[in-house]
Amino acid sequence: MKNKIFKIFFGAFFGVSIFFSCENDLPTRAEFTSIDFSGLDENGGTWAPVLLSSASEIVVDAPTAVNSTEYQAELSALRSATQNLSGSQVEAVQYWTNNPILRWNEIALELAAKYNLIPGPNPDGTYTLPNAANPAGPPPFPFAHPPYTCRMLAYLSVAQFDGLITAWHYKYTYNRPATYATDTTIPYAYTKNSLPSFPSDGAVIAVVSRDILIAMFPLEKDYLQAKAAEHLGSLTWSGSSVQSDIAAGEYIGTEVKKIALARAAGDGMKNAQTPKPKSDSIKAAALARFGWQWDNLESPVRPVGLTPLFGKVKMWNVPTVEEVRPVAPPAPGSPAFEKDAQELRDIAKNLTDNQRKIANWWSDGLSTYTPPGHWNRLAKDFMIKYKMNPLRSARTFAYMNMAIMDAGISCWDAKYYYHYPRPIQTIPGFKTILGTPNFPSYTSGHSTFSAAAAEVLAYIFPAEATFCRDWAQEAAESRIYGGIHYRFDAEIGIDQGQKVAQYTIDKAKLDNAN
Amino acid sequence: MKKYLQLTLGVLLLFAARHAHAQTLSDAIMMKQREICFALMYDYGTWDHYWEGAELRVNGNIGTLTRKTTMGMVAYGVTKNLNALLTIPYIETKSSGGQLAGVKGFQDISIALKYEAFNKKIGNGKLLALATGAFATPMTNYLSDYQPYSLGQGTTEWTLRGIVQYELDKGMYVRGSVAHLWRGQTEIERDYYYNNGSYYTTYMDVPNAWNFQGTLGAWLFKYSLQLEATYFIMNCISGDDIRIYNAPQPTNKVEFSQVNLFAHYWFQKKAKGLGVLAYYSHMLEGRNMGQFTNIGGGFTYQFKL
Repeated sequence: MKNKIFKIFFGAFFGVSIFFSCENDLPTRAEFTSIDFSGLDENGGTWAPVLLSSASEIVVDAPTAVNSTEYQAELSALRSATQNLSGSQVEAVQYWTNNPILRWNEIALELAAKYNLIPGPNPDGTYTLPNAANPAGPPPFPFAHPPYTCRMLAYLSVAQFDGLITAWHYKYTYNRPATYATDTTIPYAYTKNSLPSFPSDGAVIAVVSRDILIAMFPLEKDYLQAKAAEHLGSLTWSGSSVQSDIAAGEYIGTEVKKIALARAAGDGMKNAQTPKPKSDSIKAAALARFGWQWDNLESPVRPVGLTPLFGKVKMWNVPTVEEVRPVAPPAPGSPAFEKDAQELRDIAKNLTDNQRKIANWWSDGLSTYTPPGHWNRLAKDFMIKYKMNPLRSARTFAYMNMAIMDAGISCWDAKYYYHYPRPIQTIPGFKTILGTPNFPSYTSGHSTFSAAAAEVLAYIFPAEATFCRDWAQEAAESRIYGGIHYRFDAEIGIDQGQKVAQYTIDKAKLDNAN
Repeated sequence: MKKYLQLTLGVLLLFAARHAHAQTLSDAIMMKQREICFALMYDYGTWDHYWEGAELRVNGNIGTLTRKTTMGMVAYGVTKNLNALLTIPYIETKSSGGQLAGVKGFQDISIALKYEAFNKKIGNGKLLALATGAFATPMTNYLSDYQPYSLGQGTTEWTLRGIVQYELDKGMYVRGSVAHLWRGQTEIERDYYYNNGSYYTTYMDVPNAWNFQGTLGAWLFKYSLQLEATYFIMNCISGDDIRIYNAPQPTNKVEFSQVNLFAHYWFQKKAKGLGVLAYYSHMLEGRNMGQFTNIGGGFTYQFKL
C-alpha cells in the first residue's frame, strides 16, 4: 500500500546503529527529457495571434545563407560548444527539453505558490496590503491569490503563443534547416525533426517568459534572469540553435512582451483591490438591492474583501461581463437556501473519508498554485501525453488561461454584485474543514475556473473530455464538502464557467489551427 | 513458546502519546519478570502562542488551541532485563477562535522494548545504562496535513534511545537520555505542495529528530513517592519553517525545549500495586510549534502474573 520501506539494523548499543532508509524520491517537476512531437504545425505562422494583428507584425530580417561564411562560422562555434559539456550543462539540457513551455509553466506555478500567502494582521489589528510600488514590503508583492494567478498565467501564455506564431511564420518563410541537418557532426540532444531553426523558438520562450514573470513577480528578477540565462544556454549546449537563431528569437520575445505588458497595464487590475469606502459602497448596494451582505468573519476583521473590482477587469473574449452574469441566488431563509444549508450541516456531521479527500484534493488554497494553477498542471500532463510541440502547447495554455481568467472575472463580478454570505455566516456555529476565503460566496470560484478550464481542455483533447468535465464537477463539489460553499454556488458556478469558456472556444475554432 | 506467549500478553493493552511524555520509555525503571503494569493517563495541553519559524506569535483565527489526550499503556517484564511496552493514545483537538473544525480519534500505536544493559554499584550508589527501541505507526487514517489540528504526523517512527542513570543509595538520582527518531513519509490528500519549491506528490517527508532529556529525581518515603524535574529538548534535523501567517505542515522543522515536573506515588499497603501520577510541563523555546502547557495525571496498576 504505502510504498515506504525501512530497513533497520539496530546495533548492540545505542549510538552504534546503522540505519538505511529507502524512501520515495519526491518529484519536484514533470519527468520528461525530450518529446517526439506528434506534429510540427508547419502552418503555425498562419494562425491568428491574440494580441498581434498578424504573425508578421514583428519584422524579422532574413538570416544569412546556409552556405555563407558567417553561418558556417556559427555552426562551427556551436559544434565546439556542444563538446565537453559540464555536469550542470548536461542537467540544463535535460531539464529544459525541446518543449520549454512546460518548464516555464512549472516555474510560473511555483512562483504562484511561493507568493500565495495572505497578509496577516499588524500588531495593532490593521492589515497592510502588498504594494506594487514597494514590492519588498512587508508584506511582499504580490499576494498571488487566484485572480492574480489566473491573470499572470493568461498574460504569460498569450505572450508565449503570439511569440511562437511569429517564430513559426519566419521559420517557414526563411526555412533555415535545423543545425544538425546542415552539419551532421553537431550532436543534437533531443528527438530530431524538420523544424527550421531560425528564429529559435526556445529563445522566444525564454525571453518572453522571463520578462512577463518579472513584471508579475518583481522580487524574483534575479531568479528569473538566471533561469532564462540557463535556458538560453541550453539552446547552445543541446545543439539546437546558433547565435543568430537565438538573437532573432530574443528580438521577437522582447517585442511581444512589450505588447502584452502594455495590455496588462491598462486592463483595470490595478484598481481591483479597492479602498474601504469603495468596498463599503459595493456592500451597501448589495444590501439595498437584495437585503443581504457578506461579512468577513476573520479575527481581526479584514476591512476589504479580496479584489472587489476584479469583475471590472478587461476580459479576453467576452464582450461584457454582464452578459454572463448568473441569476440571483436564493435568499437566505428561503426553502431553496434551507435545502442547501441543511446539506452542508449533514455533510459536516457525517463527512466520509472520500468527501474529505475530495475537499483536500481540490483545495488549492494558500501556499499552493491555486485552482487556475491546478488546471495548468493537468493541461501540462496532457501536453506531455499527446506530445505537443511548443507552439501547440502555447496555444492550449493561451486559450485555457484566457477562458480561466474570463471565468474569474465573471465569477468576481457575481461575487461582489450579489455579495452573498458564506455558510459560516448564515449557519450558526458552523465549522468547516477548509478555511473560508476572504470574498463572498456566490458563485464558487473553483467551480467557474474549473468548468472553464475543463471546457477548453475538452475541446482541445476530445478524448479526455469526460475526465476533464468530471474533474471540474469534483472540484465544484469539493467546496461543498469543505463547508465553504452552498450547492447552488457550485452548480451555477459550473454553468457560468461553461458559458464563459464558450466565447474562447468559438474564437479558437477560427484561429486556423484546427 | 512460553516467552512468545508472555510477549503477546505484554503487548495486549497500553497507552502513550508520541512526543508527549515518554516517561516510561525514557526512565530507568525496570519491571521484574512476569510483572505487568497497566496505566491510564489523561493529558490536557493548550497553547495560545505558537512559533512561526522562530517568531512567537498569536493568531486570532485559532485563539487557544486545546489538545486532550487519553492514553492507555501496558508494560510487561519479559525478563528482568527486558521489558515490553505498548501505548495507544486517543486525541481530541479544537480551537477557541475561527471556524475550522477540530478532530478526534486514535493516533499512533507504539510498541517498545526496553533493555537494561548495565547495573552496577559504584561508590554510594549504582550506575544504570538502558536502551529502548520503539516503533510507532498510525492506527487510523487521520490527516497529518491538517495542522495545527492534526492528531499526529501520520507516519511511522522508529526511536532508539540510550539512558544512563546514577542513583545514590539515599534515593536521589540524575539521569540523561538521548534518542534519535527516524520518521518516514506521510501520505496527504493533495498531490501538490510547496516546501521551498514545488512538490508534485501525495507524500511529505517528515523530518528525523533528536531528543535529549536531563532529569533530577528522588525517591521519598521508602520508595513510595518518585519526584522528577526534567529538561526536554526535541529538535528536527531538517525541514522548512511555517510560512508567514500560513498553516504548519508535516515537513516543518519542529523544535522545542520543555520543563517537566512529575510525581508518581505507589500505595504500599491497602492498595498495593496501585499508583497515581501527575505532571506539569511547559515549553520554553521552540520553532514551528505551539507553545504548549500541559497538565496530566493517571493511574498505574502493577501486579505479577
